[in-house]
Amino acid sequence: MRHVRGFDIVRPLSIGMLIFMMLPLVFLPLLSIFIFGTSKGLPSFWAALTAPEAIFALKLSMATSFWATVFNVVFGLFASYVLSRHDFYGRNALIVTISLPTAIPTAVAGFALLLLWGPYGILGRLMSPHGYNIMFTAGAIILANIFVTFPLAFGVIKPVFDTMSRSLEEASATIGATRWQTFWHVTLPSLRGAIVSGALLTFARAVGEFGSTILVSGNLAGRTQTAPLYIFAKFNEGQIEAANAIAIVLALFSFLIFSVLFFAREWLDVD
Amino acid sequence: MAATAIKIVPEMNSDPAAKPVQPAAAASVQGLNKRFGKTTVLENISFDVAEGEALVLLGASGSGKTTILRIIAGLEQPYTGKVILHGKDVTELPARERGVGVIFQSYALFPKMNVEKNIGYGLRIRRRPRKEIKNTVKELLSLVQLQEHRKKYPSQLSGGQQQRVAIARTLAYKPEVLLFDEPFGALDAQTRVHLRREIRALLKKVNVPAIFITHDQEEALELGDRIAVINTGHIEQIGTPEEIYNYPATEYVATFLGAANIVDGVCRTNKVEACGGSFPTDLDPNRFSEGQPIKIAFRPEDVILSKSDQLPEGHCRLAQGYVEEINFAGAFERVTVRLEDNLSQSSSDTPFYLTTQTPENQPSKPIIAMRAKPEARALKLKRRDRIVVGLTSFTVLPISTRGREESK
Repeated sequence: MRHVRGFDIVRPLSIGMLIFMMLPLVFLPLLSIFIFGTSKGLPSFWAALTAPEAIFALKLSMATSFWATVFNVVFGLFASYVLSRHDFYGRNALIVTISLPTAIPTAVAGFALLLLWGPYGILGRLMSPHGYNIMFTAGAIILANIFVTFPLAFGVIKPVFDTMSRSLEEASATIGATRWQTFWHVTLPSLRGAIVSGALLTFARAVGEFGSTILVSGNLAGRTQTAPLYIFAKFNEGQIEAANAIAIVLALFSFLIFSVLFFAREWLDVD
Repeated sequence: MAATAIKIVPEMNSDPAAKPVQPAAAASVQGLNKRFGKTTVLENISFDVAEGEALVLLGASGSGKTTILRIIAGLEQPYTGKVILHGKDVTELPARERGVGVIFQSYALFPKMNVEKNIGYGLRIRRRPRKEIKNTVKELLSLVQLQEHRKKYPSQLSGGQQQRVAIARTLAYKPEVLLFDEPFGALDAQTRVHLRREIRALLKKVNVPAIFITHDQEEALELGDRIAVINTGHIEQIGTPEEIYNYPATEYVATFLGAANIVDGVCRTNKVEACGGSFPTDLDPNRFSEGQPIKIAFRPEDVILSKSDQLPEGHCRLAQGYVEEINFAGAFERVTVRLEDNLSQSSSDTPFYLTTQTPENQPSKPIIAMRAKPEARALKLKRRDRIVVGLTSFTVLPISTRGREESK
């Protein structure tokens, strides 16, 4: 039905319905973190936030996510370059394999890493006699983060690579640039937006990683406990405020990253 | 073969003083062959470009002209053959060491660099002193008249401005040769004509040899000092625009470059026969033999129409016919004439106008005549007028082999 003039009831009704459906599913859960977390007053919130273990967990999360992001962005760039510039047998199989880790349950990912690097794993057995044991260290958390966020940066960078005109690189070559100069001066600047959004996406995902981290880290408070693990541990101990304070920080943090991604797209792609 | 067509060029030069015999070509390709898998893309392509000369590679899409350009630029490798720039064999050199300037179809300006940065790119990667870069960029900006746009980014420029940036960007490092890949393809018709003249003037100023590729015959005629017509990977003919237009070597050239009427004929001693008429002409005995079937090509503007058998001096009678259609085409009047072949005329008792509607009974294919206004006014024609068709000039073409013979 088409209303040329006057009031169209479908419009407010449908918008209202949408919001109503989202209320218990998204809005209220988020809201309750903030309401509950600050219900005992700001001083207790602040105390929970600045507890040494809490600070450590946040720092560890940031650091491990940072290194996982650095690795995956560099790798994603490299993989995009190879897979979009060269055609070879098995290319599509490789693309699917790179994208696979997002589809694997994170607990399975953590378990797989344990099997490989753990005391009985192939690599673990090779390395433990030399005194190296990567499992249950910060290194294990980085490995888990790399695994679960593996395709994210690649997934953002590769399409930009694909649509980038070859003639830009060809022009640079005919002008006299080496491959490296072309990459540095021509290709990379065009990828700037994709690299930043890929990095933010990877980082946000890595900070929140739980399933694989809890398996490979050992969840040792003050040593290998990341922020999500801290929330889980404090909740189990019944220290709801402590869990809640970190939950607020993580929620705000993801809001921030999401807003940058959402609103800065244009800024990231400015000429 | 293509090679014979090239050999003819110096002989055909109407004014040898204008283009002296070049001691060494600025750029030349010799015997290029290229295959992709089993398909032959290029077949024995050879040509020279002199210093300051503009050569146009004219061909339909898929003719291989872009591949020639990419081979000269070093973006693709030939199967066999050589690319020589200023006497140096560069066939094995990568693109970046050849010093050619390519103006890509989409200009390929670097989107994250402003005009100045784009122009200076070639010098920056050569690590030239900052002062030299600054001065060169300044000079080039004034050469292409973009001083006030020097801080703008490519996306803020019009198509024509982008093209000038692209040219300046290549001129900055003093290229051996400029290669233009369909330079006006992305522009509207009016800008095209304007830019063509601009580029022509610019090239004369910088005196760099240039190779254009285009499928637009009008563009080719205006831009090129010489034109090479490329068809399915080989050169059909190479020569000045006048030569190519007035004396096409093959039927392909005749029809691709401008409109042409083609009629079948037969060779006789010192004359050719076609459409029941015969015209005296000097034929190269090496190329044409008695009784050999040939084709006669003539431009619509070379056709003269008359109501009587008396044709003006210097014209030869082709055949009789009748006017089938008259169209107004601006400066010209286009007359479609149905020729009456001797054969079909004798086999048909019905008056010709009754049979015109059924294609299978049509005596022969129509020819097109273009008449300038004074001529059209002097002899007003209307549909179904019987007329005599004469020619001021024509070209005799062999049927399948490549070669040439022109006549008057």
